[in-house]
Amino acid sequence: MTQGSRLYFAVTVLMCAFVSINGVGLNDLLERASQLSDKLHSLSTSLTNDLDSHFPPVGRVMMPRPSMCHTSSLQIPNDKDQALKIPEDELLSLARSLLLAWSDPLALLSSEASSLAHPERNTINSKTKELQDNINSLGAGLEHVFHKMGSSSDNLSSLPFYTNSLGQDKTSRLVNFHFLLSCFRRDSHKIDSFLKVLRCRAAKKRPEMC
Amino acid sequence: IPPGKPRLTSCRSPEKETFTCWWEPGGDGGLPTTYALYYHLENSETVYECPDYRTAGENSCFFNKNDTSLWVNYNITVVATNALGKNISDPVEVDVVYIVQPNTPENVTAVVVHDEQGPFVRVSWEKPRTADTRSGWITLLYQLRVKQEKDKEWEVVGHLYNILHMLVFLVLWTTVVFYIPRERSLWIMITIFSVFIVLILTWTLNVKRNSVKLCLLPPVPGPKIKGFEKQLLKSGKSEEVFNTLVIQGFPPTTDYDELLVEYLEVYDNEEQELVLDGKDLSEDCMKSKSPSDSDSGRGSCDSRTLLLEKCMEGREGSGSGSDQHQYSQHGETSWASTESSESQGPEPGSPESADGCGKTWPVVFSSPQPQTHHHYQVGAAKPAYHSVPEILNHSSPHTTPSNYHQLHHQDIPQQEGRFSKPACRHSQSYNQFNLDGVGTPAPGVPPSPSLEYVEVQRVNPENMLLLRPLSDPNREPEGLDCAGEDYSKVKEVTNNILLLQRDTSHQCVDYYSQDLDNQADQCTTQQPPHPCKPAVHQSNSRMPHEGMRVMGNGYVDSTVLMPSY
Repeated sequence: MTQGSRLYFAVTVLMCAFVSINGVGLNDLLERASQLSDKLHSLSTSLTNDLDSHFPPVGRVMMPRPSMCHTSSLQIPNDKDQALKIPEDELLSLARSLLLAWSDPLALLSSEASSLAHPERNTINSKTKELQDNINSLGAGLEHVFHKMGSSSDNLSSLPFYTNSLGQDKTSRLVNFHFLLSCFRRDSHKIDSFLKVLRCRAAKKRPEMC
Repeated sequence: IPPGKPRLTSCRSPEKETFTCWWEPGGDGGLPTTYALYYHLENSETVYECPDYRTAGENSCFFNKNDTSLWVNYNITVVATNALGKNISDPVEVDVVYIVQPNTPENVTAVVVHDEQGPFVRVSWEKPRTADTRSGWITLLYQLRVKQEKDKEWEVVGHLYNILHMLVFLVLWTTVVFYIPRERSLWIMITIFSVFIVLILTWTLNVKRNSVKLCLLPPVPGPKIKGFEKQLLKSGKSEEVFNTLVIQGFPPTTDYDELLVEYLEVYDNEEQELVLDGKDLSEDCMKSKSPSDSDSGRGSCDSRTLLLEKCMEGREGSGSGSDQHQYSQHGETSWASTESSESQGPEPGSPESADGCGKTWPVVFSSPQPQTHHHYQVGAAKPAYHSVPEILNHSSPHTTPSNYHQLHHQDIPQQEGRFSKPACRHSQSYNQFNLDGVGTPAPGVPPSPSLEYVEVQRVNPENMLLLRPLSDPNREPEGLDCAGEDYSKVKEVTNNILLLQRDTSHQCVDYYSQDLDNQADQCTTQQPPHPCKPAVHQSNSRMPHEGMRVMGNGYVDSTVLMPSY
């Protein structure tokens, strides 16, 4: 490495360290968060499609109703007007609550994915793992956002997930897997929507962003 | 016949605020058929009918804002009714957010623009009217596709993110921050910083590599024979070359007794004292050597460490003497006594012992500044010998005291020094008192690291060994006799007598050569009133014959015994 490039590299590292010390701006954090949430939702959609490709018809009958999702008790806005009225910190806490509620279920999904009675099991398995990673990243990122926003209180809703097994037989396991995934897909969309609203709300100074 | 079963074909929401569902009739059965759409939400059993059948056209149902709920499943059925019966379509579960499909971009225009680089097409558009991207409710991604008129397939030109493209760099950056769980981000920052610091350090080291190399790996002087010039060997005649190797008076004769020099104690300023023990003058010690002298073939003495006399021990075990080499704590050096193998390291100064040993030797030192814990004896010097210290102001007054001492014998005129034939040789020791060192008592402070070797210049009639540093810049101006003459070479040690050989350079006249025989008898050993002295003598008596070793450093040995060149 020549002296010049060494210096350049050092300066770059310093700049990067400086930026990381100072912290990234809220806008950029939210930008990144919404990207991650978008990815989360698209992953879950593709997982659902993979599952649907070889889903037994009886499964559809057996499928629990969506209101049975463990996050259904969370009060969320139902339409745009309601959503746009919600203050930023509440939007953020909604997103964080939802995210937090899914960390355990996703772990269950991840562990069950490898033994699923489905021809697309491998794909499903890898995508589920990816889902888990993304959720962890997003969770950490949202914590950064939370601290950056400087909210006074941290009012996360607790949405416990008590199930620790998807079922005894392979069909019910498959059906429950599908059901859990569908709940997640919807919740990931909620998170994505809230974060994108938050992002544009925070970018008032930059109208070209939204 | 009853109507055929209708079928819901599609439902769509253009802006995530309203949605429309379309169905197709199954067959009217020849009779006028009416269609009704019913729905209920997933978490309730209440069935509602479609609020608007007209807005979206035929066989459609339009759900306006008020009727649209997000993230909730609509269970929709269409019932076809005619006079004969009705038919119900299969239920469809719809979640509005999954059926969002925005309207088309508006005002799409493609214009051919001529530029100096060639013609190109500029495509412009506007966002669909209904899409509320401003509040972030929906996010639109545009994709440009082109195809030539005759082509069948559209080709995607590029993904366009009208929102994100400006922030790509920062977004990539935030990935780093984001991706790491919070508790590790601190370590990552620390790592980045330390990497940066390491980079800076290595760069600096690289820039200063020469001086670093000099510091870590000081050049080791190569062996060199004094008087032997490599250049001469290469270019000159062999006779010239080897002439320098010829030693006068070789092999050694028994005249060495005449080179007897008595003991001389020289006290250094502040922390150092040179104690010269006339009997056992180690050649090494006698030699004065500048740090830059490359004649490493000679033994070397660090005049500072040289004689570390432990006067404490001298006092305690005076008599039992033995092995002590008395090392003064501050580097009081005694030439001869240091031969004892038991050199003991200097103890960081304890003033008392310093004081004990500090009775100077009248001859040597007298420092104008009284220093309590010092080896100097102020004013104790007998004027006879002189020792009026000559205080030379060196150019760097604030440096640590230089190691060489200069005592200028004033009562010995230069001429006399040069031509007289005293009974004993003059030895001139120079003490330099560094004035600046005074007043900054630092007991126990180890002596300054500078090494300055002292060479014996002459032995004066009072049996004083005159020393002068090899690096003494004042040598010449003081009109001392020829520079080449020095007594720093030990010829032999016999009976605890250190015999010095005077070395004269080719420039000098051998002034004293005649007197060698006479002087030894007349020289007397000086008995300085020094408690250390007896011990010194005692230790001298035990001086091994095999070699004279310099006290502190262990330089020496066989070279010492060899006749000098």
